Amino acid sequence: MAFGFKRTIQSKGPDRFIINLRADLREVIAAVCDDVLAALDDENAPDRDPMLRRVFPVAHATDESVNEAYRDLVHSDLLRTRREALERVSATANDSELDRATLETWMVGLNTVRLVLGTRLDVSEDGFPQLEADDPELPAWALYEFLGVLVGMVVDALARTV
Amino acid sequence: MTRPHASDVAPVEIDEPSIDTNLNVDHPWIVLVWNDPINLMSYVTYVLQKVFGYSHEKAESLMLDVHEKGRAVVSNGSKEKAELDVFRLHEHGLWATMQQD
Repeated sequence: MAFGFKRTIQSKGPDRFIINLRADLREVIAAVCDDVLAALDDENAPDRDPMLRRVFPVAHATDESVNEAYRDLVHSDLLRTRREALERVSATANDSELDRATLETWMVGLNTVRLVLGTRLDVSEDGFPQLEADDPELPAWALYEFLGVLVGMVVDALARTV
Repeated sequence: MTRPHASDVAPVEIDEPSIDTNLNVDHPWIVLVWNDPINLMSYVTYVLQKVFGYSHEKAESLMLDVHEKGRAVVSNGSKEKAELDVFRLHEHGLWATMQQD
């Protein structure tokens, strides 16, 4: 994030947003999108089942026939739009300026990464746990927090300019 | 749902959309959004505005229902409409289900 006087995401009207992010954070953004794209294809990915259940939830809490019909109807579309969003965020991670449609894609793509990471970390309403400095999960939690702040700023920039 | 820690949330003023956002009780299917610990509150509000064209006030009040009561009915209609609504909410990563009312 750019510390200083500039907003991380400055809106120049409803369709033009200046992204003030350091290069290393942009690298992180592209890398996490690529990681999730790889995880979607990797049948041995850690916590694959909870991840898929969260990224592709069932449509009905109990009725398996509704779920089956829904899966047949939309699963390939959901998978495709999810992949396209992650690919687009990765491809535009270094852009200094985004239009509204691309910033909305960032919002959805980065949120998908949060869902996958949050599911792996088994996030609860309690929020950030007390971790020792050498806890192996600390980097993942830090990344999760960073993405939360970033998604929050993207949403704020979009909501300011509805 | 959670709030981002360092985000500066400015109040947002939005014109009421002209579409009718009242739920029609004659329709047999309802769409529910369930609380989850990952999606940000501001994100859920924005997605409900974007997907359904709801005003900020209505979307925020639905989001708070989800957050406080665990779930909220966000739309209703025919089975086909409910499927489409669930699909659009799933596209945005919200935990949505449909059921016959």
